[in-house]
Amino acid sequence: MQLQYFLLLAAALFCIGIYGLVTSRNAIRVLMSIELLLNSVNLNLMAFSNFLDPQGIRGQVFAVFVITIAAAEAAVGLAIVLSIYRNRDTVDMEQFNLLKW
Amino acid sequence: MPESTFGLRRYSENKIVNLADGVQLVSFLVLAAMMIGAAIGVVLLSNIVYSAFLLALVFISMSGMYILLNAGFVAAAQILIYVGAVNVLILFGIMLVNKRQDFVPLKNAWISQVATAGVCLGLFALLSTMVLATPWAISSLTPIGDEAIIEIGKHFFSDYLLPFELASILLLMALIGAIVLARRDYLPDEILGRDRPSEQPSALTLPERPRELISGGK
Amino acid sequence: MDFANLAAQLNAGTILPEGIVIVTLLVVLVGDLIIGRASGRWIPYVTIAGLLGAIGALYFQWDHSDSIAFLGSFNGDALSIVFRGVIALSAAVTTLITVRYVEQSGTPLAEFLVILMTATLGGMFLSGADELVMVFVSLETLSISSYLLTGYMKRDPRSNEAALKYLLIGAASSAIFLYGVSLLYGLSGGETRLSQITAAILSSTGDQSIGAVIALVFVIAGIAFKIAAVPFHQWTPDVYEGSPTPVVAFLSVGSKAAGFALAIRLLVNAFPTVSEQWHFVLTALALLSMVLGNVVALAQTSMKRMLAYSSIAQAGFVMIGLVIGTDAGYASMVFYLLVYLFMNLGGFACVILFTLRTGTDEISEYSGLYQKDPLLTLCLSLCLLSLGGIPPLAGFFGKIYLFWAGWQAGAYTLVLVGLFTSVISIYYYIRVVKMMVVKEPEEMSEAVKNYPPIRWNLSGMRPLQVGLVICLVATTFAGILSNPLFNLANSSVTRTQFLQTPIAAIARPVAQIESSADQL
Repeated sequence: MQLQYFLLLAAALFCIGIYGLVTSRNAIRVLMSIELLLNSVNLNLMAFSNFLDPQGIRGQVFAVFVITIAAAEAAVGLAIVLSIYRNRDTVDMEQFNLLKW
Repeated sequence: MPESTFGLRRYSENKIVNLADGVQLVSFLVLAAMMIGAAIGVVLLSNIVYSAFLLALVFISMSGMYILLNAGFVAAAQILIYVGAVNVLILFGIMLVNKRQDFVPLKNAWISQVATAGVCLGLFALLSTMVLATPWAISSLTPIGDEAIIEIGKHFFSDYLLPFELASILLLMALIGAIVLARRDYLPDEILGRDRPSEQPSALTLPERPRELISGGK
Repeated sequence: MDFANLAAQLNAGTILPEGIVIVTLLVVLVGDLIIGRASGRWIPYVTIAGLLGAIGALYFQWDHSDSIAFLGSFNGDALSIVFRGVIALSAAVTTLITVRYVEQSGTPLAEFLVILMTATLGGMFLSGADELVMVFVSLETLSISSYLLTGYMKRDPRSNEAALKYLLIGAASSAIFLYGVSLLYGLSGGETRLSQITAAILSSTGDQSIGAVIALVFVIAGIAFKIAAVPFHQWTPDVYEGSPTPVVAFLSVGSKAAGFALAIRLLVNAFPTVSEQWHFVLTALALLSMVLGNVVALAQTSMKRMLAYSSIAQAGFVMIGLVIGTDAGYASMVFYLLVYLFMNLGGFACVILFTLRTGTDEISEYSGLYQKDPLLTLCLSLCLLSLGGIPPLAGFFGKIYLFWAGWQAGAYTLVLVGLFTSVISIYYYIRVVKMMVVKEPEEMSEAVKNYPPIRWNLSGMRPLQVGLVICLVATTFAGILSNPLFNLANSSVTRTQFLQTPIAAIARPVAQIESSADQL
């Protein structure tokens, strides 16, 4: 097993996340893409932690923080999506044009 | 190169180590295929509910990866928090805004999708060149394996104490803020019952008039 | 490591100012829970007292020599003290100008102030964070609280939309930032403290430059989002227009200052091997921000949107100081941020006041305001002229210092573009001033004709008046009596250790970067 396998996998996941981020029209799917990005970062951190820092495992600690904060961000994100859905009755990103981009 | 402590490595006979390596490689490939397939499904499927369940599959295969990387604790945390909390939250979100709504198709949407896909492939090529070209300083120490949870605990209460405490404030704030934003707003009596009912629609909104009104009035 | 030993190593006194903010936050939160809505009368004052207390505590830490705390997570050096002071002060002034705005919109005040204080806390910790995990957690504390503040007027679709856009772009940019940070962790062979990352990267063998460049690009994407530099600025006008105005005031000063603090610490510490590249990238960002911010601001009809573009341009000016990387450069940056705090918050205080009285923020509606409200006109004019850099106001001295430092370091392109775009900026600032002052009574806008009688005794108006006057006085006199601020900025840079060691190495390639920027 090599470090590079994991890093390549993380890079692939990151690119899929970026694709989803740019092309999704459903606000909730954009949130999911952000979760994919954060997961790819976590895989990077865990791989580095195992191969470069196997005794100190700072990467594992970092990943735990990332998981925690991703959960908080998802909660806030869904709260915002809910409040905009109540007012606008849609979650389509193309319809959110009260303010021009 | 550190050997993984996963699997049968403890019986340090050569043959079994090789066998364990093979098992690891196979499980890596299976998990990687699952993860990439599910992730592509998350971004491409048109039904958002399927996407949410595939997202759970991504999270689960990710936790399998963590086990391959000798991190049992984080793998458990991944399942508990991502699958148990974040994914359930997202499913709730989908159900709360569940309106069978087909988005009006945009003209020429495929052009931007193809362009984005091209950019993402380019990014992947760049990142993989970087991954392969960089000489990573691989440590020769053995991974601590199941001791990791002790080490993580030590980190939390020594050199990562400050971020640990700050994270508690962050979580408190996310809790309060999410409640403030998502609860059905009731307007307190002293505002609703005030002399001018015309004031009511302006409650909880910005005092500025929206721009459309101004341009329409002229 | 026994407990007493550990407690001594933590050096927890360094975060006393943040501790004061946390205690205030809890007092406000619990007090509001117990007392209920009646608490709105004293809550703002408790908040301001707490924030000023934090600034006082920062003042007493100025002379501490032992700045590393929490086993390296936090570095309370002189530079971080100045930035933490700027952030706390901007939050205090924001609190003053918030009260009436939030009360009039009928939203609960206590939660607003609590979230504002959390954002302040995140910014303050970010200014001193010396370790990747700490950087990430404090950055997210600042960002998540900002998303919540942006969406606070939840009945208003514009506020919702601004919050959603801010959240999605912000979360994506912090994920990208995080990917860069994870690469840094890997490149340094498993270190998370910034100083050790420097050492590890410098001592590493083999060619890591491509990894370092990619990490750099990703990290700059995250930082440029926070300071709203072009081309990472797209969120700014929308978010500024849709958010409650006090939030915009805080985002444009406090949050930006935190971004600059992060930029200095992270770029100087963690990217010693690619310093030429990051100077080049930042030069490009600064040029783009100055040009695009000032030119697009010309075309705006909404005051909030105009101030949004103007703040993008101001960030470009401040980046000059960061790019040249000399002592004078950093000092001029700190000085400009101090001055910018008062003039920008003063400007927003005036916009808030005008909005509360007339319910609009269109620039054309300001015409003829002089006849109805001389104080507001005077204050807004002075703040805008100061932002434009008219002598003898504070902004003029800030800009002169920045340009002088840039000229000394040989960054001629940056300084010339800065000068040229300041002239453009004066045009659109003066347009507003002219609109307010020169117009004949018959040209007065509808909003001004129906201007309500000026009453300062409404609840929450006093703090707004105080905030307005403080900003007015500071903007007017901070330029002429700038010596204390000037000395503060200078000594904060000379006393900061990490800026002193690498400066010799960084100062050299500036001329080179300039010449390559010329070829663009």
